[in-house]
Amino acid sequence: MKFRIKHIATAYLFAVLFSFQANAQISPGELAKVHSHLEGLSNCTQCHILGEKVSNAKCLACHTELKVRIDQNKGYHSSSLVKGKQCASCHNDHHGVTFQILKFDKDKFDHNLAGYKLTGAHSKKKCADCHKAEFITDKKIKAKKFSYLGLKTECLTCHDDYHQKTLASTCADCHNDEKFKPASKFDHQKTKFKLAGKHEHITCAECHKTSIVNGVKFQEFKGVKATNCTNCHKDPHANKFGQNCSDCHNNESFTVVGGVNNFDHSRADFNLEGKHLKVQCKSCHKLKLTTPLNFKNCTDCHTDYHEKQFAKNGISPDCSACHTVKGFTEFSYTIEQHNAGAFVLKGSHVATPCFACHKKLDKWKFKEIGKTCTDCHENVHENFIDPKFYPESNCEACHNQNRWKEVEFDHKKTKFELEGTHTKQTCRDCHFNKEKTGHANQKFVGLANTCTNCHKDAHSQQFDNNGVTDCKRCHNSDSFKPATKFDHNKTLFPLDGKHINVACVKCHKEVSNQGVTFVQYKIKEFKCENCHR
Amino acid sequence: MNKTAHRIYLSLLSIIVLLAFAAIANKGYTYYKLGIEDRFFHADHILLKPSGIWGHGMGIIGSLFMILGVLLYMFRKRYRIFSRIGILKHWLEFHIFLCTLGPVLVLFHTSFKFGGIVAISFWSMVAVFLSGIIGRFIYIQIPRTIEGRELSLNEVRDLAGDISNTLTSTIGLDEESLKIIVNAAKPKAQLQSGNFITRYFNKKAENRKTLATVKAIMDKNNLPKAQRLQVINLVKNEWSLNRRIERLVLMQNLFKYWHVAHLPFALVMLVIMIIHVAVTIVFGYRWIF
Repeated sequence: MKFRIKHIATAYLFAVLFSFQANAQISPGELAKVHSHLEGLSNCTQCHILGEKVSNAKCLACHTELKVRIDQNKGYHSSSLVKGKQCASCHNDHHGVTFQILKFDKDKFDHNLAGYKLTGAHSKKKCADCHKAEFITDKKIKAKKFSYLGLKTECLTCHDDYHQKTLASTCADCHNDEKFKPASKFDHQKTKFKLAGKHEHITCAECHKTSIVNGVKFQEFKGVKATNCTNCHKDPHANKFGQNCSDCHNNESFTVVGGVNNFDHSRADFNLEGKHLKVQCKSCHKLKLTTPLNFKNCTDCHTDYHEKQFAKNGISPDCSACHTVKGFTEFSYTIEQHNAGAFVLKGSHVATPCFACHKKLDKWKFKEIGKTCTDCHENVHENFIDPKFYPESNCEACHNQNRWKEVEFDHKKTKFELEGTHTKQTCRDCHFNKEKTGHANQKFVGLANTCTNCHKDAHSQQFDNNGVTDCKRCHNSDSFKPATKFDHNKTLFPLDGKHINVACVKCHKEVSNQGVTFVQYKIKEFKCENCHR
Repeated sequence: MNKTAHRIYLSLLSIIVLLAFAAIANKGYTYYKLGIEDRFFHADHILLKPSGIWGHGMGIIGSLFMILGVLLYMFRKRYRIFSRIGILKHWLEFHIFLCTLGPVLVLFHTSFKFGGIVAISFWSMVAVFLSGIIGRFIYIQIPRTIEGRELSLNEVRDLAGDISNTLTSTIGLDEESLKIIVNAAKPKAQLQSGNFITRYFNKKAENRKTLATVKAIMDKNNLPKAQRLQVINLVKNEWSLNRRIERLVLMQNLFKYWHVAHLPFALVMLVIMIIHVAVTIVFGYRWIF
């Protein structure tokens, strides 16, 4: 019986032993899928060293890409946390096909240990956002189903080159981890174009234009011309003032203009001349210097001093029709222009200053100042000359515009026609009577026709006849001497003989009476002895 | 070792096994209940994994327990020089203890991961363990001398039939009552028909009926409580003996065949265990050494 039992036991043992595939018999469990190619008894020493469990060297003999990193003392597996550890202490196996040979708490993983500290937006990313084949350049690693290896630390490893190789690949010089925009580490002051004034507050996009290049959005940063303001700014002056904007403008504001003293206004549409040269900018540019001004008409700046006196059909001519920029009082209005008007300047009017007629009061007046002489001139003869002699107060009835003193009056119109030397006398000689004070009193009306009314009776009233001395009996108007009309023979003492040739003075002596000296023509007695001795 | 000491001894052994099981199960519950793929990441993996300090230790100690349990019992049973050391029954109990505690430890050593060639060893161990339980059942079905030697059918039959002597010598009963009780304890031929299930239930019913009759007779004789218990035990013991006699040939045959299972499984387990240990050592897993 015992013999039978032993035989049955042996048979059973062999049956059991060989009923299993020899390959899997000493494995403590199935290998993870990634290692499944190492299943089998003949493969044990691919990972294991007899007597020494699992060897790191064996692991790294296959995982060469990791060995390179470790040899370079780079990466997580060279960190203090991992260094010196057995691979199998983290990446164990024989725990089944579905065993996660690479398993760790992704949320708590200290990426700093991998040699690349995750900060900013990187710290919010999932592992697979970066650790994916498309970012891996190493073909061997890329070919793997998944690997945390193979990523370079350069930004462009994962990120698209937004600048399309126009800038250096050292993105971190300008950008931080938080946001791509704005490039917070970028210091524009280190560029050739240092930002100042308003440039410091505008967005990049205002100068660095965005376009589509190679089918993607592209913002130009390199090669942006900044030699002149007009590289970016539109020249509102259409190059009238040249390209040196900074001669007038600064970075703070386009509308705050400096360098006014250097501003060449001639380049503007309005050339400064005359008085305009001395005017303060603010006088015209009430708001900002850059605020557009109307300047077509003088009245765009100046008030119409003449208050539309020259308006025709409601439209005033521009001031420049008369005035120049040399001054308001200097004008270009000519006598010819004046004469083209209703009142033609003649004679002394030509030389008369404008204000004499047009500024009788404080204000200049050009319209409706009257055309008659008395509208301007005082009628000095009023109440002195009968208006019939100068109807409608027309001075030109006697006077002309050349000189006041040039008087042409037909004295025949009066009762006293001028004859002889009367015609050669001035009006004043007869009609004006100078007082001792020098004041001349005119008198035209009520003048008697007698000579003595004007002339002094040189004969001290010797020839009065009833109180009237008629000079014309002896004298004519041409000359007082000689008394051509006097005939001695018609006197009480006709001349004859020797008397004819005797000088008058021989008989008619000068006498004085009450202080008045006169020639005694009227002789009371004709006695010889009165004359002869 | 008296009966009480023996009971304490057995209880102690049982408690040790149960405690060991409970303690390890408690310690490793969260670990063992994890899937194979997840265990590596458990905090106690380093301890409880098959190659861990605990896990590996349990494997080694459990195996040693089993080897020791087998060898001690085998040497005691087979070699004359050990034949006088203790009672074989106690050695068997100690064998059962070590070969229960050992598999428990080995079970936790496997961390319930049964793969590879060593799984054959494990399942062989399980087979040995289970066959051991069956063997123990068969073993107790075969009446033995106090030294553990099997009694022959005649020796067993001699044991039966003494009940009337016991009853008449220790308990005073009238002839009729004695006859009814003795008849009640005798095997009943009409209960040998049918399949084992119907036989089992018929026998149970019959025994209940018989026991009621016996109790009625004892009531009639106004037996004191102690004697009533003695009579009932005598009857039950007689039934047991009768049952054993009925099964003796069957059990003796079964026991022969049981060895065919128990021993080869044990051998398979041992051989593969040796291979397993050798591989383990070759690959550098030396536990604390």
